[in-house]
Amino acid sequence: MDFSILTNNIDMFLEGLKNTIIASLIALICSLVLGILIAIFRIAPFKPINWLGTAYVEFIRNIPLLVIAFFIFLVFRIPGLAAGTMALTIYTAAFIAEAIRAGIQSVPKGQMEAARSSGLTYPQAMWNIILPQAIKIVIPPLGNQFINLVKNSSIIAVIAGGELMYQGDLISARTFVVFDTYIFVAMFYLVLTIPLSLGVGQLEKRLAKNN
Amino acid sequence: MINFEKVNKYFGDFHVLKDINLTINKGEVVVVIGPSGSGKSTLLRCINRLETISNGMLTVNNLSVADKKTDINKLRTEIGMVFQHFHLYPHKTVLENITLAPMKVLGQSEEEAKQIARKYLDKVGISEKADSYPAQLSGGQQQRVAIARGLAMNPEIMLFDEPTSALDPEMIGEVLDVMKALALEGMTMVVVTHEMGFAKEVADRIVFMDQGQILEEAIPAEFYENPKEERAQLFLSRILNH
Ligand SMILES: Nc1ncnc2c1ncn2[C@@H]1O[C@H](COP(=O)(O)OP(=O)(O)O)[C@@H](O)[C@H]1O
Ligand SMILES: [Mg+2]
Repeated sequence: MDFSILTNNIDMFLEGLKNTIIASLIALICSLVLGILIAIFRIAPFKPINWLGTAYVEFIRNIPLLVIAFFIFLVFRIPGLAAGTMALTIYTAAFIAEAIRAGIQSVPKGQMEAARSSGLTYPQAMWNIILPQAIKIVIPPLGNQFINLVKNSSIIAVIAGGELMYQGDLISARTFVVFDTYIFVAMFYLVLTIPLSLGVGQLEKRLAKNN
Repeated sequence: MINFEKVNKYFGDFHVLKDINLTINKGEVVVVIGPSGSGKSTLLRCINRLETISNGMLTVNNLSVADKKTDINKLRTEIGMVFQHFHLYPHKTVLENITLAPMKVLGQSEEEAKQIARKYLDKVGISEKADSYPAQLSGGQQQRVAIARGLAMNPEIMLFDEPTSALDPEMIGEVLDVMKALALEGMTMVVVTHEMGFAKEVADRIVFMDQGQILEEAIPAEFYENPKEERAQLFLSRILNH
């Protein structure tokens, strides 16, 4: 393997790594907030709001991320990294909403009934009784979504987002060392995703113990 | 205190409660019996609006339960409910299960709520389990915690939906004893149960339901010795002979 590819282009790799981390981190936080909001829309005891939530999930989940990214890039005319981060957020939020909804709905109905019949309001019951139980169920699929998010950030390359994949494309085009370049790109992704994966595993274990 | 007047309820096309007329007075213990699927749980769940009635008039303390203007959360603080499967909160300790609503709904301080919770735990005979989690308790203990949880709100009415049906036989007695004590203290109780001993000992009235209707209302001695309705006779012979 040609390590000079790595050492000669380390600045570009690190720039790519930095941008991938920025895009992932921002998209992670924003998609979590947006996902929770949509999940609440989907289960709220009010039909029109349910419908909005369902429409979002079904619409976004069934369009390729690449198309969403192009669309935002072309319509809003913002830099590739920003457009890509936005696309990632919108896309991932649909999956996160589904994971959270499934988690909430897997909490037995009797829990909500017991809480409500003691006089708690719906939000109080949600917050104190349902969500703490749903969290344990939601953590593993949520972790998977976050790992997917980091990997999916590579599509930002097609709108010149400057992240890892994009830098890899530049380096391989310039040096013609295609294979080794992408090996290093893959390694940088692993540097991000493996700790994330291990972290989620640890969290799962901790939550299981608390039961 | 609780008054049903021509109450009907439908689940879609299914007519689950048919022209229910029933009055339950303060301090009364009313036992509801009837075959599975006859609408007993639904009747009970209408009282605290876990189910909404389709038409007719249902009042609790002279407040219309169905009326949008009735503050249902406030009304629910007056009505404790105990479920067949307990529905304790698994992520909270016994003490936290009991103190949650008094703190969140009645605005009690943590100290006050804990003190009251311990009083009721003592009353149902499991003060030593205050810091356990529900999963560490037997079914009978869980149900007694559920009763303490209901009582901690200091309700005027307690609803019980087959509180002993999910219990192993050796644990039924400990739960019924708590309920009997409560009845003797003058709590207004509506109890769905097939426990005849309990009904004979503390019930003021038996309400027999079948297919969504109240077919017979009588004092326990009369009902069990000499049921008037044929379907009640049939039902009694079935639960006696199994
Ligand atoms: N949420 C519901 N939706 C539709 N049907 C229901 C619902 N809850 C109960 N039922 C039906 O209503 C009937 C009465 O139920 P229930 O009140 O639970 O009877 P019981 O407690 O006497 O066994 C049953 O046939 C049951 O299947
Ligand atoms: Mg029932």
